[in-house]
Amino acid sequence: MNILQPCRRSFWPHFIACVLVAVTAVLLSFGALVTTFDAAMAVPDWPNTYGHNMFLYPLADWLWGPWDLFLEHGHRLLGATAGMVTLALFAAAWWWQERGIVRALCAAALVLVVVQGILGGARVLLDDRTIAKVHACTGPLFFSIAIAIATLTSRLGTIVQKTIRKVANQTSFKEPSSLPAVSSVALLSAAYLQLVAGAQLRHLDASIEPASFRWMVFLHLFGAAVVTLLAILTAASSWSRRFIPSDRLLREDTSSELALCIWSTCIVGLVIVQGMLGAGAWVVSWGVPTGFFFEWMQWNLTEATVARSPTGAAVVTAHVVIGMMILGASVVMAILAGTRAGWCRTDDRPEEAVA
Amino acid sequence: MTPLLKSPRGSDRHGFKKTHSWVVFCTLLGCFFVSSGCNKTPPASFRSNMIEATKQRLSQSQEKQVATVLLAMFGTPDNPVVLAETGLDLEKLTLCAGPVRSDIVGRKNGLYREHCAHCHGITGDAMGPTAAFLNPYPRDYRPGVFKFKSTERVEKPTHVDLVRILHNGIAGTSMPSFALLSETQIDALAEYVKYLSIRGETELSLMRAFFELDDDAKGILPETREFLIGEMLLPASEKWLAAKESQIPVPLISEGVDLVESIAKGKALFYGDKANCVKCHGVTGLGDGQANDYDDWNKPIVEIDKELRGTRERIKVTATASMSPEELAEHVALQDWVTKLSQVLDGDSLKPRTVVPRNLRHGVYRGGRRPLDLYYRIYAGINGAPMPAAKGAVSPEDIWHIVNYVRSLPYEFDGELGADRPLIARERF
Repeated sequence: MNILQPCRRSFWPHFIACVLVAVTAVLLSFGALVTTFDAAMAVPDWPNTYGHNMFLYPLADWLWGPWDLFLEHGHRLLGATAGMVTLALFAAAWWWQERGIVRALCAAALVLVVVQGILGGARVLLDDRTIAKVHACTGPLFFSIAIAIATLTSRLGTIVQKTIRKVANQTSFKEPSSLPAVSSVALLSAAYLQLVAGAQLRHLDASIEPASFRWMVFLHLFGAAVVTLLAILTAASSWSRRFIPSDRLLREDTSSELALCIWSTCIVGLVIVQGMLGAGAWVVSWGVPTGFFFEWMQWNLTEATVARSPTGAAVVTAHVVIGMMILGASVVMAILAGTRAGWCRTDDRPEEAVA
Repeated sequence: MTPLLKSPRGSDRHGFKKTHSWVVFCTLLGCFFVSSGCNKTPPASFRSNMIEATKQRLSQSQEKQVATVLLAMFGTPDNPVVLAETGLDLEKLTLCAGPVRSDIVGRKNGLYREHCAHCHGITGDAMGPTAAFLNPYPRDYRPGVFKFKSTERVEKPTHVDLVRILHNGIAGTSMPSFALLSETQIDALAEYVKYLSIRGETELSLMRAFFELDDDAKGILPETREFLIGEMLLPASEKWLAAKESQIPVPLISEGVDLVESIAKGKALFYGDKANCVKCHGVTGLGDGQANDYDDWNKPIVEIDKELRGTRERIKVTATASMSPEELAEHVALQDWVTKLSQVLDGDSLKPRTVVPRNLRHGVYRGGRRPLDLYYRIYAGINGAPMPAAKGAVSPEDIWHIVNYVRSLPYEFDGELGADRPLIARERF
């Protein structure tokens, strides 16, 4: 892999990467629904579906059959699709001689999608919740890689890189702060670890002690606080440069700065929504945690919640999906901020050509 | 010029090392979640009632004997066994037992673990992972005591009572409604609750039976059918079978009774000596009367804790210097028992909470809001809670008057609030 070699830029790697991101987003949403409805064992065999070849399972039985079967079989079909798209992306990255980092990520995605498929199969064949937890942690990792590939092959990063280069030629250029990059990488890590912590709660083992569960909950709440603080820090550090009057970048580097500001603000928005969904997800899954509050804080619960209600399932699943969106947005943010801080490059042109 | 522009592509700062750092990053994350739990989930098992076992000072071999007998009688959470004497339906239990899975298209097994176990625990001991976060705590099925039912106070609920609670949930608590489950599934879950309850009661009987053994028995329970089935299992299971016969008789309220008049009569009874509802529910009906009592699930924990503290004090002030070897051994055994019991209490019980009398101004009735449900509550009291039975002291007709008064309380006009607006505790202050 030589990233110095000239590249034949093509539209296809980026297009396939975008398709992969879209397929993976739907795949992960189906996966989240499978967990919400505890439908992972709705099909007891693997890779077959009730004895049929997975791809030849009667369409009507899948679409109009039981809801659990629809979710689980749909998750498998989407998984297979994601695998094929990853293979195409890998081939495209090699054919159009993408940069080393893109090719490395494509290779990692290919390995991960195979591992993820095997984990999914093992979860069913061994009927094991521990494997389900690992499977739930690998999914977002694959999604992050797909987003990273899509970003690195996009024009967005290139624009940031070019603007930086152009502005940096100005005599009054002030080196961009690395704080947005540092905080967004920290945010990316925290968002992923938060998904790992969430997976432990989602695939709850009913035999664990209340004391262990309490620790898991506090860990997840602590993670939520860390993610919130990092999201705010990322946004604040991105916006702060726009308010320095003497800074030439204010006029020259508008596009790259705006990109950072918009992304980081979106992440803060997602984190706020996520907090509300998290509280809702708890209530619809395990009831109002009245024991969490002091006696004098108790309020009157007038109605019993309805278990497995469509609204409840939507809230719980949305909590997972938004969590993954935060992770995905953090990946984009980290790449953009990293490019801007000079940590990495997102375009394919050698520096010398510009200089 | 910044180092950013001077660095050639692929250099340390922007090239391969960055690629390597990605690989290292991904590997580290991979290691993190793989190392977080590589062990296969062990098969589910029933937890022994360690509080009772320690309280009864059972030896390890005695605990093992109880576990073996229970295994033979009830099987495991994944493979339940049913004896004909219990009257339980194995097919229904199979639908609820084990991990969540489908064996044929559209039939889902493992319902208990999907819907109930996270609060009630796999054993039905109310020690599920989420239990500590709930107030009131989830129900512990093992003592075989149930609150909201249509039967006499000390009797078991009917199957229909359990199904109704599952269907409606319990307003004012974290118990949800399972109305979206099919009738077959709710029916099966009610059966599984009975199974866990009978198992828990049998376990308690077995553990307590050691106390009554003769010296000849050498601390081992007789493993005869007559003893195990006849004396241990049947007393628990027969009550479930007889529940239908102990339903509370409900006379219809006399025709032509004016509602306003009935409410006035109910009010007089509410504040009177016969029913004496004010004692706990308070003069205002806000549930601010006597509120320092515990229910039957928390009370034993409070009492054991009290006994433990007393024993600890005694141990502390006991002089061991002048003790004979036998006395010293007994003293050491007592110390060990205290240590074990405090450890068991820490691990197998939650912090006891007092039971709060219901605020009748809210209009939230946990056992159901039908007038009939209120009649049952007043007639038979609430089993397991300090709410006494009015049966005997108050005539059925008067109970209906109290029901009418209680139902009017959320809308009682007190001169300040609108008659159509419920009076809630917050607004009182």
